Amino acid sequence: MKSIVLSGVVAALLVFSGCSSKEPAVDTQAANSAQATTEVQAPATETVSSENSVVDSSTNSVSMTADEIQSKLPTVYFAFDKYNITPDMQARIDAAAELGKEDVAKSLNVKLEGNCDEWGSDEYNFALGLKRANAVKKALVADGIDASRISMVSYGKSNPVCTEHTKECWAKNRRVNFKLLP
Amino acid sequence: MKIILSLLMLFSLMFADDATIQVIKKVDTLPTIAVEDASTDYDDTFRLRFFKSIIADLNVLSIFNVDRHHQLALFDDSDVNVADKDMAYVLRYKLEQDDNNALAVSIKLFNNDNVVFSKNYKVPKSDVYMFVSHAIAYDLNEFMGQPSVAWMKRKVIFSRVVKPKESEIVLADYTLSYRHVVLKGGLNLFPKWANKEQTAFYFTSLSGAKPTLKYVNIKNGNVKTILSSDGMLVCSDVSEDGKHLLLTMAPHGQPDIYNYNVQTHKYKRLTTYSGIDVNGQFMGKNKIVFISSRLGYPNLFSKRLDTNEVEQMVYYGNSNVACSVHGNYVVYTARETSNEFSQNTFNLQLISTNTDYIRRLTATGVNQFPRFSRDGDAILFIKNYKGQSAIGVIRLKYNKNYLFPLRFGKVQSLDW
Repeated sequence: MKSIVLSGVVAALLVFSGCSSKEPAVDTQAANSAQATTEVQAPATETVSSENSVVDSSTNSVSMTADEIQSKLPTVYFAFDKYNITPDMQARIDAAAELGKEDVAKSLNVKLEGNCDEWGSDEYNFALGLKRANAVKKALVADGIDASRISMVSYGKSNPVCTEHTKECWAKNRRVNFKLLP
Repeated sequence: MKIILSLLMLFSLMFADDATIQVIKKVDTLPTIAVEDASTDYDDTFRLRFFKSIIADLNVLSIFNVDRHHQLALFDDSDVNVADKDMAYVLRYKLEQDDNNALAVSIKLFNNDNVVFSKNYKVPKSDVYMFVSHAIAYDLNEFMGQPSVAWMKRKVIFSRVVKPKESEIVLADYTLSYRHVVLKGGLNLFPKWANKEQTAFYFTSLSGAKPTLKYVNIKNGNVKTILSSDGMLVCSDVSEDGKHLLLTMAPHGQPDIYNYNVQTHKYKRLTTYSGIDVNGQFMGKNKIVFISSRLGYPNLFSKRLDTNEVEQMVYYGNSNVACSVHGNYVVYTARETSNEFSQNTFNLQLISTNTDYIRRLTATGVNQFPRFSRDGDAILFIKNYKGQSAIGVIRLKYNKNYLFPLRFGKVQSLDW
């Protein structure tokens, strides 16, 4: 009987004998704190000049018209966790495609910027923003816009137009913006 | 009877080494430790800050029952304070400022009134005191013969959005109390360590015409362009040897996972599903784990690289949106509510490819960005709860979570 009890105790101890005994990989580089601190040096700060900031004076009239077109381009909104285009948003894209066929717009390209609300992991959100931009791109191509004029970028949740934690605010952030490029 | 006992033994051996089993009752009581401050320099604010840091680190070790009283002492006294006579261990330290403003720290560890361990530390500036605190905790852990906590001395790299389309990439210690901005200007996201030594990192720049993956050498500040893609480009994982990257990119508007060879500069598409495939993580040399929307909601899948066999990994949760892999273990973020109009709850769960168990690691709030330490001993994550943000450390072996409050903007992505 004693041996049975003892065996039981041994078995129970084995059950509770901890979980992981994986061999740790020791980082020798970070072996002393002084070294860790000396490694923290500031690399050169990367400064990126803002694109399209220079406008050639000879194209002033086109740029004015382009500005007008830019101001008329719509924002396309999406439902929570979705990237399909609803009928009311399809009408907005159709209107944008008509603007894209104007003579002055034919030489311009468009960048579709996909955006998301604050929910979800960032990588998945970036993909969701991209799928939204891609859905708009497909709709524009179906409306007769040349695919080569369209580029896309997803900003995930890093480009919010509204930062409050409300459903109205989240809805405003689930969007695709049109940005004209020369 | 022998058969039953043998089965019992076999059962216990099978699960003795499984981190997905949660140990909810620990038989041993932890040895007590008190901390005595014998500093002669610096003001009370700084002394208290250092004291709090060392208490937090000792707690995270999970091998002591830590007394939180800030006690003063003389460094050269041979006896511990009367109040600490019953303590199994007493850590006494002295902060000193030398002529060059460097911070020097001396420590002694007492056990039964005998000094059993002592060491001196020095850092060039007092504002990096937390690295000394982490180093002391690391050394005490080694002295006590416990599994290594080398991750305590590793650096965390993270990005934070400071305003729309503008972000910073920041280096920090594991508690994020030390922060040093290494890259600012433009929108630079998804930093990822490029090697074990943490001497370089990758990041995505969204400031140019196309999303571009860049490489920064921290030692000399050189920035190198790796490649660009329309739509999106994220470095999700770096292989153990640093020679392969798992990228999520969309050269044709379709987010998929690609394996990029750092030496040949060639890449191979690994997923072809028409929805969303992201967040690829290496699992050994022949398998990846990733997030896919192929069931209509985001969930975890694995893919063998030789046979292309895809397997669903999780059958729980409405939406499993991010993961990190170590060995056979996968920690992932599960959205437990799918209500657009309420506060969503995101919890961390741990699974193993060897068992069917799911271990729930957090219970409240929005818990994101889980990252295994390199040795798999700990998991780092960001917790948002009731309007407050914190960085959390989970010690899997000890079933303990520790939170350090964050007092700055939201973290966009982090790597450890």
